Amino acid sequence: MIVNVHDFHTFLMKISKGVGGYNEVIVPYKVGSERNGNSLLHFCRFEELKTLELNYFRTTDPAKILFYLFREKVYPIKNKNQKRLIVGVKACDLKALHLLDKAMLQSGFVDPAYKQWRDNSLIISSDCDHLHETCSCNLLNGHPYPENGFDLNLSIADGNYLIQIGSERSQEFVELMKKEITVVDSTASDIEIVKANRKKVFDQLVEKNNHLTHSGDFSEIRKVEHKSWEEAARECVGCGACTNICPTCYCLILNDESTDKDFIKVRSYDSCQWYGYARVAGGGTPRPKMTERFRNRYLCKFDYMHKNFGEFGCTGCGRCTEACAAKIDFREVVKNVSSLTQEVN
Amino acid sequence: MQNPYEVIPADVYEVIQESPLIRTLRFKPKKPIPFKTGQFIEVGIPGIGEGPFTPSSSHYIVDDMDVTILKTGFLTEYIHELHAGATIGIRGPFGSNYPLEKFKGKDVLILGGGCGLAPLRSLFLTMLHDNKDYNSITFLAGAKTPKDCLYKDEVTEWRRYDNVRFIRAVDEVPAGEQWAEDVCLVTKLLQKIDMKPNGNPAIVCGPPVMMKFGTFDLLKYGYKEENLYLSMEKKMYCGFGQCRHCVIGGYYACKDGPVFTYDQIKNEEAIWD
Repeated sequence: MIVNVHDFHTFLMKISKGVGGYNEVIVPYKVGSERNGNSLLHFCRFEELKTLELNYFRTTDPAKILFYLFREKVYPIKNKNQKRLIVGVKACDLKALHLLDKAMLQSGFVDPAYKQWRDNSLIISSDCDHLHETCSCNLLNGHPYPENGFDLNLSIADGNYLIQIGSERSQEFVELMKKEITVVDSTASDIEIVKANRKKVFDQLVEKNNHLTHSGDFSEIRKVEHKSWEEAARECVGCGACTNICPTCYCLILNDESTDKDFIKVRSYDSCQWYGYARVAGGGTPRPKMTERFRNRYLCKFDYMHKNFGEFGCTGCGRCTEACAAKIDFREVVKNVSSLTQEVN
Repeated sequence: MQNPYEVIPADVYEVIQESPLIRTLRFKPKKPIPFKTGQFIEVGIPGIGEGPFTPSSSHYIVDDMDVTILKTGFLTEYIHELHAGATIGIRGPFGSNYPLEKFKGKDVLILGGGCGLAPLRSLFLTMLHDNKDYNSITFLAGAKTPKDCLYKDEVTEWRRYDNVRFIRAVDEVPAGEQWAEDVCLVTKLLQKIDMKPNGNPAIVCGPPVMMKFGTFDLLKYGYKEENLYLSMEKKMYCGFGQCRHCVIGGYYACKDGPVFTYDQIKNEEAIWD
């Protein structure tokens, strides 16, 4: 399908005002001034007068924050009944949501709050047409455009959006869109334009990350010498920014906020980078040293999660590198570790 | 849809001072908690927090349970303040259980120390319920001093069965305390019994150091790695494999454990820490 960009934005505006029965329309907006030549994008509520840029690159915060809230009551659970439209989610975040689904919906139990947010949200993803300095999805078999996991996807084609349908449940939205704005069939030339755009961005990404290329084999990561980790973790202050902003980190603290009358459980993010993370009563902890906790994050992403879910826990979004207070480049560490892993073999 | 965060209120009706630092809470949950011995529950105090504990009572009774708790940190200090009449919150049961069906017809060895006796009492009581199903049950229990021994009032009863041995040892007897049984590390008791390691199971639970050396001793005496059952207590925070605090390598102590065979986890890191 092809729709005019301006028409589509007008349509989103109508939805934000109640058409279609959506409670919320969430889109990425550029916020604040540029930093190191990079704009910052945040997910915000749709506002009529702001300029929309639905493609661009990933937001600063991961889409995780819309589904797995930083702080959320999980018992007792009330029906949120919030029909949401989330637009501009990028491929890296879709991949992360896929992993969170495995962790929270398909591991023998269901996290009720996460499930509600997932069920109630229609996701319209979009191709990246810019690259953040830390973007590196290509190093983890990803692409800067969504291939699955979306309800609808937007690709720019000459002032129009080429819309790809990714799920059956997007049908209702498509019908509504056809009523409100002009929708025409896409032609072979539209598809060619999108393909060419995608290739262009992907090639830029490959070139940009050429010096960071690694083997992609982490099966022996546990055997990498402790000394190498010490080296890598030297600057780490253990603030936990990397884990909180990671789209696939979901470790939680369960707080008891019960009153005299009711039992109440609230979950919020935890971080394996913090000393108290795995500490048990009496003071014992399996990872007392910063180096061990630093190493744990990499092992979790490339070994444990792979064992648990059959895929790596890193989508290459680069947010941990962007957030790091000590300016540790995750990609550099991964590259070094991967070359050391080869030596182990 | 079952909410894994659901809290089941429970009424504490008795608190037993087992030793200077260990108490047993007896409570009745408002809704039965059908656990299998070895599985754990989260015991919480409203407004304070919760922690993982393995019931110390038989799994044949699901509406009247015991937990035996060592005073050792923030939460357990609060738990030790509780009196009969208090309301606590329970979540669970979670995790793996002792595979009793594999123990049937066998000579079962149970090795425990300190507060590690809590889950083992649950196992022991559950097995006593059908004691004829097992060829023999040997329970070696250790404590620091006579005062630290748990379940003092039940020992006579436990020793009445033909095919059951309950042997205790204390590390030392301070001046002024009476003790007529063994004085040694609990692992040393292994030398005093006629072990039948061949194909038989051994279950170990206790402080990390005791578990480590107990495991190594049992291996030395010929027990097989796959027949050694260890209760790996880590920080099991959520109980169902979401919070990741208890991950041992690629395993979750809460979901794949807490009962592991040594064979399963021997290559993982920091298992005894």
